[in-house]
Amino acid sequence: MSHCENPLWPCAMTGAVACLAGFEDVAVIVHGSSGCYFYPASLLPYPIYGSHLLETEIIFGSGSRLQDVVTRMPGTHAAVAVVTTCVPSLVGEDIHALLAGVGGVLVVDAPGFIGQFERGWQAAQQVLPARVDPEKTGVNIDGLNPIDPFYRGNVLEARRLLSLAGLSPGTFFSSDRFQSLSQSGAYTLSTNPDLTGTVGTPAGSLLGLEATRRAFRTLGDRYPAMDGDAVEKEIARAEERISKVCDKFLRRHNPPAVAIFGSRSYALHAADLLTYSLDASILCIGSRNGPVHAAYPAEEMTEFPSIKERIERDHPDLVLGSSYEQSVCGDAAFVPLTPPIRGRIFLHARPLIGPEGALLLIEEVLNGCLDRMKKR
Amino acid sequence: MNVIPHITESLRLEGCTILGALSITTAIRDAVTVIHGPSGCTQHNFSLLHATFLADGIAALPHLLSTHLTEDEIIFGGEEVLETLLKDISAPGPGCIFVLSTCIVDTIGDDTSAVCRKSWGVPVIYLPTAGFLGGGFNQGLINTLMTLSHRIEPVEKQPLTVALIGEKNLEYEVETNYAEITRLLNLLGVRVELRFVRDLCFADIDRLGGAALNILREPLLAPVGQMLEWKFGTPFIDCMPEGFSGTLRFLAEVAHHLDLDAPPALRKETAHQDEVCAKFADFRGVAVNFGAEHRLSGIPAIDEVVTTLGLQPTGEGVMLPLPVPVPIGTAGMERLLHRWRRVIHVSL
Repeated sequence: MSHCENPLWPCAMTGAVACLAGFEDVAVIVHGSSGCYFYPASLLPYPIYGSHLLETEIIFGSGSRLQDVVTRMPGTHAAVAVVTTCVPSLVGEDIHALLAGVGGVLVVDAPGFIGQFERGWQAAQQVLPARVDPEKTGVNIDGLNPIDPFYRGNVLEARRLLSLAGLSPGTFFSSDRFQSLSQSGAYTLSTNPDLTGTVGTPAGSLLGLEATRRAFRTLGDRYPAMDGDAVEKEIARAEERISKVCDKFLRRHNPPAVAIFGSRSYALHAADLLTYSLDASILCIGSRNGPVHAAYPAEEMTEFPSIKERIERDHPDLVLGSSYEQSVCGDAAFVPLTPPIRGRIFLHARPLIGPEGALLLIEEVLNGCLDRMKKR
Repeated sequence: MNVIPHITESLRLEGCTILGALSITTAIRDAVTVIHGPSGCTQHNFSLLHATFLADGIAALPHLLSTHLTEDEIIFGGEEVLETLLKDISAPGPGCIFVLSTCIVDTIGDDTSAVCRKSWGVPVIYLPTAGFLGGGFNQGLINTLMTLSHRIEPVEKQPLTVALIGEKNLEYEVETNYAEITRLLNLLGVRVELRFVRDLCFADIDRLGGAALNILREPLLAPVGQMLEWKFGTPFIDCMPEGFSGTLRFLAEVAHHLDLDAPPALRKETAHQDEVCAKFADFRGVAVNFGAEHRLSGIPAIDEVVTTLGLQPTGEGVMLPLPVPVPIGTAGMERLLHRWRRVIHVSL
């Protein structure tokens, strides 16, 4: 493996912690140094815990420290989850054995050196005691990532859509309570196909209007009593509003040339929406988390210099990405799509999925493009 | 949220040695920093530094490289990767290269120091920052300042100059603190010769020995101050000023060390502090609360202002936030009082 320069995507440990922390009554303990703890703690909207190991505990064994931390967790939690970082994982202590006396502790081995965020997310999903309850008719939602700027918005939009359709929510991975894991529904909708889970039969994705339509039609086949029309109408209304505003934009302006940087599924979704609705030209997709197979120029870009070079080479009118991209996008319009989004305040819920997500993305893109033109 | 440690365990909560070192190395514009370990360590710190730089209005991003160790190198060793990387990045001739070790490379036993000692054509400075195996954030910070200090040769002293030692580059108020220090020094006709280390080039560090006085950000940095005093004969003040009387004391100390006339500056600053206090005359008699156990905060600079302004500390008054760290100078105290007034408005 060659070296890398200013890497941009979080490690497996962060992914595992993010996945578990979304279950609000699970006490997540980062088993490692305070340095490893502080990074996910700075990103997550939920509190997490740390064993904050010292050097001596690595030399003489971290078991008693971990036992101490686990037993001091507030009793209000339904479960405790321990995520091991690089050194405890390498040292090879048997965490399960160390905590045998405590009981009910989930252990996820997710050292940073095994890979990136998604690898840790999957590792955490595998230890969650989720199972489908045949008595329940709720629909699960997965791909809800607490460090995603669209996290809370996606949660609310998923609930709204299920409610419109008259369906009850199943387990939300990860925005739920621990107990819900034992009562998962038989079908699962995805909000981010990069973070798919293992519970329930996949029924499609809510990322994009057409995908949302297809997903609810699939559910309609399973749940005949569902009010599919309500969702169809909502999607049609969003399409109409997007169509109207994009047409007006194009009467006066050329479509933007766009560079998109982010996780694979989000980036592809944005590219599809902008191409379809605004006839935008996609100059490049820079994927943070693996190769992209698409009709657009696309490649995996996980280091800052390559992204900077690409933006400087392509001169896009519009850049979608994180605040890293924003820092080098010059006079191009910028729309946030990818964490981290630093240097601006987000308080209200912002969805990317479903009709509201599509509306928000188009709204931000057009406002960004119009503001840029006014500045020129 | 943390499991609350005993005071003697405060090292647990300091954060990583690497970030302490990075807070210094990334403040050197022409330096490249290599973090020898998995890419996650570099990504974490790049993200945190990016946020800090943005908050400070710094457009540039830190230049961090990772040896990107994966399971293979963890098993077979990562020295070869480090060597290849140093060969690549030393060729364009950066001002210097810092190499920071991580907890994982110390655990697998890579001899990072030996790789750095080879001849690379540019200064390659090894900083043993093995995550929590190397101490904590403060240890990383101090080790880095000490390592840099050791490299510097004596130069001619510049009269009426000071060097600021160990400004907290990750502190949200770092530039406003700097502005306050320069305002206070201006009262005495003293200028800052060097910020050791903030926003400078590697070669600038050579000027460190020329300062007539060193001002440390906090007493924790005393070993650095003592070392510079021993090496260059430069006296030091061990902390930036906290509180109203602390600020006056600071001015007197600077004047003493530089053989200046303090009273005119003290009169000006006292008058300024009186004006600041007058803005908060409405605080008199307001019942405030710093926690159940103590009527006062226990922080001298804070308790002084509480008494001066006639706030009434009780166990049941408005709960006022205590600043960590204590604000610097008169300006810092004024900002704190505005924050308190906001809380009082909301609470009453």
